Amino acid sequence: MAVLNRMDWYDLARTTNWTPKYVTEDELFPPLMSGAFGLPQNAWEKYDEPYKQTYPEYVKVQRDKDAGAYSVKAALERSRIFENADPGWKSVMKAHYGAIARGEYAAASAEARMMRFSKAPGMRNMSTLGCLDEVRHGQMQLYFPHEHVSKDRQMDWAFKAYDTNEWGMIAARHFFDDIMMTRDAISVSIMLTFSFETGFTNMQFLGLAADAAEAGDHTFANLISSIQTDESRHAQIGGPALKVLIENGQKAEAQKRVDIAVWGAWKLFSVLTGPIMDYYTPLEHRKQSFKEFMEEWIVAQFERALTDMGLDLPWYWDIFLKDIAQTHHGMHMGSYFWRPTVWWNPAAGVTPDERAWLEEKYPGWNETWGECWDVIIDNVVDGNMAMTYPETLPYVCNMCQLPILGTPGKGWNVKDYPLEYNGRLYHFGSEVDRWCFEQEPERYAGHLSIVDRFLAGMIQPMNLGGALNYMNIAPGECGDDAHNYAWAEVYRAMRAAKKAS
Amino acid sequence: MALFPLTSNFEGDFVLQLLAVDSENTMDEVAAAAAVHSVGRRVRARPGQLMRVRRQGSEDFLPRSMRVSESGLKPTETIEIIWEAPKH
Repeated sequence: MAVLNRMDWYDLARTTNWTPKYVTEDELFPPLMSGAFGLPQNAWEKYDEPYKQTYPEYVKVQRDKDAGAYSVKAALERSRIFENADPGWKSVMKAHYGAIARGEYAAASAEARMMRFSKAPGMRNMSTLGCLDEVRHGQMQLYFPHEHVSKDRQMDWAFKAYDTNEWGMIAARHFFDDIMMTRDAISVSIMLTFSFETGFTNMQFLGLAADAAEAGDHTFANLISSIQTDESRHAQIGGPALKVLIENGQKAEAQKRVDIAVWGAWKLFSVLTGPIMDYYTPLEHRKQSFKEFMEEWIVAQFERALTDMGLDLPWYWDIFLKDIAQTHHGMHMGSYFWRPTVWWNPAAGVTPDERAWLEEKYPGWNETWGECWDVIIDNVVDGNMAMTYPETLPYVCNMCQLPILGTPGKGWNVKDYPLEYNGRLYHFGSEVDRWCFEQEPERYAGHLSIVDRFLAGMIQPMNLGGALNYMNIAPGECGDDAHNYAWAEVYRAMRAAKKAS
Repeated sequence: MALFPLTSNFEGDFVLQLLAVDSENTMDEVAAAAAVHSVGRRVRARPGQLMRVRRQGSEDFLPRSMRVSESGLKPTETIEIIWEAPKH
């Protein structure tokens, strides 16, 4: 029997809107869940997804993708890549899996909201496939690290991280709860798929795949490339929704959602991806600096995506362009200095050669970040280890939940952006974080940051032990220097040579 | 006498930190408490220089002997701790 070409029947087959007779349109599509923006059902029927795929096609392609990724894993299982990998690279994997795997699973629920509640039939179809994608990503990114759990307890955080009150996970949950778990279907399409996935997962998945291949970890490289091919499809769910909103006079609301989500995504990537690219990845395997990668993938490509869509660049774009050369250095120093509170072992990444690279990529690094590292290095070389650890908490932002930081040393520009709201003093890491909060204060006002929880007496005893217990970090899981401070030997030798001369 | 949380922004350091002081501490004592978390950890000591306290955004230091309870600072408010070269 002859089969019709897909395009001969696709549009008709997915035109599944009907006129409800026994319930009202609002009962069928509750505005709170659908996010109709006051537009009738027929306005959403103009939604035209750029990537059309049918279920049988999807299953066939996904089966091939799974076969590829799983067979690479099976073939390399005995290769001892994990055992022989640079400890910095292991930290990359641990940070990635913990921060991402269960979030992918949660994203399936966000996709399911679009699948059920969107008034746009095309969106419902794309998100059906998107939902299956996210289930797949969750499963793979839990299954792949599992083989390493017996070798390294920190690998268990691929599964465990999301259930903990570890500070980075509070930040990740706060962001994902905001953009995908507690928003209507249309807002999810704008904030999760267009802003976060189009804008940022390229960073994590393409950049990291390149670094993984360079580091010889072909299993990981294949896994995340395989995931990225799904992302690049379902990330396109938001674009046509933005088009419908703009055509129907809703540009301001659409723009606001993009601006909030892009900023939150940026902050999360500054702590997750920035340190990985510029400090953890062994020097010889680095392809580009984090800033160069950001400029290529975000500044050049995402700017175009925004303007092609008829949107403006976020109002804070100049602040963002400045921050991509700064913020992640602070996030790295913070996660290194507070290393017992993370589930991976941060690599310091500050040997003389690495510093020369940092100075070349970020002129002025030595007289800013370098000045703080000089003190840390001296303490390590002197064996004064107590001074390389903190005795208090960093103050964290009430929006992004990450430490409030800036550039130290000669470029000192650290600043708090406070706001008093309903008698409570909130602290923010930037003008933009504070602006995000101000767009809908009641949405965020009740949340307690890790510092707020500490001050409220929720963390007992009020010391590092109590904090680790609160964050569910068991003995053997605490982060420590990835290379067990071996990198300091070169400084020891330099000091000895100086003394001898 | 009561525990009083402030937020320390120490000159030359990279991050704001939670600082627990006592409401009866003087500004010199507050600066010394803040230094514990920055100086010698990520900021080099500056022998001979004073550490002065000011509100964020203010150019004027709070008097060295002023107590937290007299300063009008709110719990968790951010203070800047600034190095001051001795006057000759």
